[in-house]
Amino acid sequence: MTILAQNERPADDGLVASGQRGTVVLRGVSKRFGSTTAVDGVDLTIPGGSYVVLLGPSGCGKTTLLRMVGGHEVADAGDILLDGVRLNDVPAAQRDISTVFQHYALFPHKTVYENVEFGLKMRRLSPDERQRRVNEALAFMDLTNLRDRLPKQLSGGQQQRVALARALVTQPTVLLLDEPLGDLDRLLQLRMRVELRTLQRRLRITFIHVTHNQEEALAIADQIVVMQNGQIRQVGSPQAVYRRPTNLFTASFMGDNNILAGRVASVDGDGILLECEGLRLRARSAPEPVVPGQAIHAAIRASTVRVRQEAAAGATLPPNCVAARATFVEYLGDTVKLHCQTASGLALVAKVPEQDPSWQGIREDETDLMLEWDEDDVQLLTS
Amino acid sequence: MSSYSLPEAVPAASSRRLSGNAVWALLLSLPLLWLLVFLIVPVLVVLIVSFFQPTLSGFERAFTLDNYRALLSSGPFFSTLLNTLLSALITTVVTFLVGFWVAYYLALVVPNLRTRFALFIIALAPFFTSFLIRAVAWIPMMGREGVLNSALLSLGITSQPLDFLLFSNFAVRVAMAQLYLLFMISPIFFSLSTIEPAVLEAARDMGARWWSILWEILLPLARPGIVIGAVFVFVLSMGDFATVRLIGGGASTSVGLSIQNFVTYMQFPQAAAAASILVLVTVLGVVLLLRWGAIGEEL
Repeated sequence: MTILAQNERPADDGLVASGQRGTVVLRGVSKRFGSTTAVDGVDLTIPGGSYVVLLGPSGCGKTTLLRMVGGHEVADAGDILLDGVRLNDVPAAQRDISTVFQHYALFPHKTVYENVEFGLKMRRLSPDERQRRVNEALAFMDLTNLRDRLPKQLSGGQQQRVALARALVTQPTVLLLDEPLGDLDRLLQLRMRVELRTLQRRLRITFIHVTHNQEEALAIADQIVVMQNGQIRQVGSPQAVYRRPTNLFTASFMGDNNILAGRVASVDGDGILLECEGLRLRARSAPEPVVPGQAIHAAIRASTVRVRQEAAAGATLPPNCVAARATFVEYLGDTVKLHCQTASGLALVAKVPEQDPSWQGIREDETDLMLEWDEDDVQLLTS
Repeated sequence: MSSYSLPEAVPAASSRRLSGNAVWALLLSLPLLWLLVFLIVPVLVVLIVSFFQPTLSGFERAFTLDNYRALLSSGPFFSTLLNTLLSALITTVVTFLVGFWVAYYLALVVPNLRTRFALFIIALAPFFTSFLIRAVAWIPMMGREGVLNSALLSLGITSQPLDFLLFSNFAVRVAMAQLYLLFMISPIFFSLSTIEPAVLEAARDMGARWWSILWEILLPLARPGIVIGAVFVFVLSMGDFATVRLIGGGASTSVGLSIQNFVTYMQFPQAAAAASILVLVTVLGVVLLLRWGAIGEEL
């Protein structure tokens, strides 16, 4: 299979060999549209053969960044390098990069076969070679029996496979995907994201995928790049970004975090004590050094909050512990979300597994609850 | 027994509402009636009259094929028909060659939607005035002492006025191309406007150059618009007699003009026969255009 055999990719599964082709480096890349800065001095290294997801809300610059890598937008400042070669002035067609466009942008008047063939035709390959490679790509994406259909005769999932085949037939070292799952219904999204991941593993080329959906990013990525206002806010593995957000934006964008504003009360060898809206928190460490008196935000993931049905006995509770009542019990199937309010009026959310009996018998606005969490789960948002 | 108590469906406000089919029939009957009274009946009348025996003061109701026989065996009528066909084809091709680029510019080069439609309205502006005025306006442009000849003379490009600029087949075709250009621009403009910009971007991403994008993407996707525009322009210039009379000034002919002459001399059966032949040739041309455009699949 030509698509796979290209440039002797390493045979060992899942391992990203250093020096593998498809390494994209961005240095101080900026892009302005009129008075708005879409991308603001981005530095990023995307290792060859990895699956990287650019994640952020709409307008955060992720698509513009992708388009600059693809050559559809010109960077105002900075360097874009592919395997050490500066790409800024290389036209899109001559980059070893293919794009799967948002809404796929298939040629509506061409059949599946002609769509896939187009890139090879433009590269003036011989008809025999074209036919061989198109047939391979169609077989690879399981499209052989749809070869004579027009795009409008295909389902969303089939159109996506055609877009993938069309992008992969030219054997790129980097594949860019702009919201590739956005047009699919939810069930298909779940299936296709597994397929995309599997496809990337088989091909061992770099995938750069843009999305605004955190769940999709967590499920699919080797590395997540969280973006806001044209800047990178955090880069890390899905676990790192989910469990250890380092800044307010990431913590709120990744969902289901209790975010509290407060001050550093004291710092000692064991940890950091915080005073947050009448609540005392204790954290093990901070991403950056903190000093007493410093204003700070802390995030506690809703699923790390434990719930006990118990009235507050003593006057003073230890840190990371608070008395509250549930204002609303939200049953979500696999989990139950308890929207709670402390005596001082602070809103906190706890998420418990459905099988966990602790939520049963809780009556809204009546049952006294004790909320508790570990100091390891208090995440300070310093950067 | 399992029973669900859901609110009962609210009964329809009126049980005597018109059914969907009846509404459609009502809506369609008016235009159908219009077509019947103003198109089908007149065409049938013309067809019938074309088989009547001409007399000095009109016709008598006796069946004859003489009108057709006379026209089809007449050299002048034949060359008139050919000239009409040639003018219509040239006008169609010229309006396509010019109109495509105007539409291309409006639909794909102008970035802003508002500017695009503003320019489109400006392109429309000449059509706010009457057809006759626009045709007459060519005379001071193209005449012996017209703007164009004066310019050519004063620039020293020619030593004497060019006569073919007015009262010639050339002049008629130039004028018709200008008069009917909009009928070509509009449908192509709307066809090109429906193309997703990402489709062109994808083509460039895969290495297509300007020429390939035009040939592989734009022309095929604009084909319905091109065919519709060509049908408009072809039909209009086949039936034209006013432009031919004003701009041709006797040096150019068309079947439309012949029909008018027949009518002036009260030769109604001959006029009707000429009209029937013209309609037949025009319909054949349209059928060929539509078949070439394979427009059924697109629409």
